[in-house]
Amino acid sequence: MIRIIKVTGESLSPLFLPGDYVIIGKCSYLFGALNKGDIVVFSHPSFGLMIKEIDSIDSMLQQIHVKGSHPLSVDSSQLGPIATTDILGKVVWHIKNPMRAN
Amino acid sequence: MFYKFFQSVDKYLSFPEAKAHCDIPCGIYDPAPAQIAALTVVRMMDLMTALEQGEEKGRLEYHNTLTRYIAVKEEHAEKAKHEIRVIWGDYIKDTHLEKHPDLTMLVHQIMQLGSNCKQTINREHGLAFVDAINQFAEIFWLTKNVKTKKAKAPYAPGLEMFYPDL
Repeated sequence: MIRIIKVTGESLSPLFLPGDYVIIGKCSYLFGALNKGDIVVFSHPSFGLMIKEIDSIDSMLQQIHVKGSHPLSVDSSQLGPIATTDILGKVVWHIKNPMRAN
Repeated sequence: MFYKFFQSVDKYLSFPEAKAHCDIPCGIYDPAPAQIAALTVVRMMDLMTALEQGEEKGRLEYHNTLTRYIAVKEEHAEKAKHEIRVIWGDYIKDTHLEKHPDLTMLVHQIMQLGSNCKQTINREHGLAFVDAINQFAEIFWLTKNVKTKKAKAPYAPGLEMFYPDL
């Protein structure tokens, strides 16, 4: 299944900026195919839909830890581990806003 | 070209938004305001003691100044408690507590010492308040893998404080 998601927030800057679009795919991977460094969209019980980079994978507990690239980004130390069942998909295509400064 | 296409479709379909969260919660947590507030509490105690030993005692100005010192001491003791509660409630997670099991007791101790500082002008309570908040700051920076250094605050009362060694 493929979805189109719009990015808000700065925590993955400068790679992903507010206004960018990403295509995420769930069929494109089986969970074993998730890798550290992949950008994933997941649903968080408190913060809703979020996009973050995978920092580490715990295949035993079927959960991941995430981080942003911005120094002020919240990460798994605040969000807690993310269950793989809450992952909507990983980014397979990134459409950058051509108006972005860089 | 692709972007304009997606932007046009977005106007009609409103794609779901995924937050690359940075704003709320902002992730900006720092024990420094609590440390400064605790230092202020000790400073007010010192100023009150000095005032009591001065020659102005009994005059209207004396009462005015003393009242102001008390008000600031009260305000900053509460501020320090508030700042610690925010970090405790919003930032500290189970994983931190597993690594630092004494943290719960330390936060409780800070709350009680803050109240002691309001109730009395006992400098020992003030010093213990600063010390406990320093311990909290050290643990906080450890959770962020930020080294700390001990240094004297460059202003009265010049107590030793834990600062991030950036």
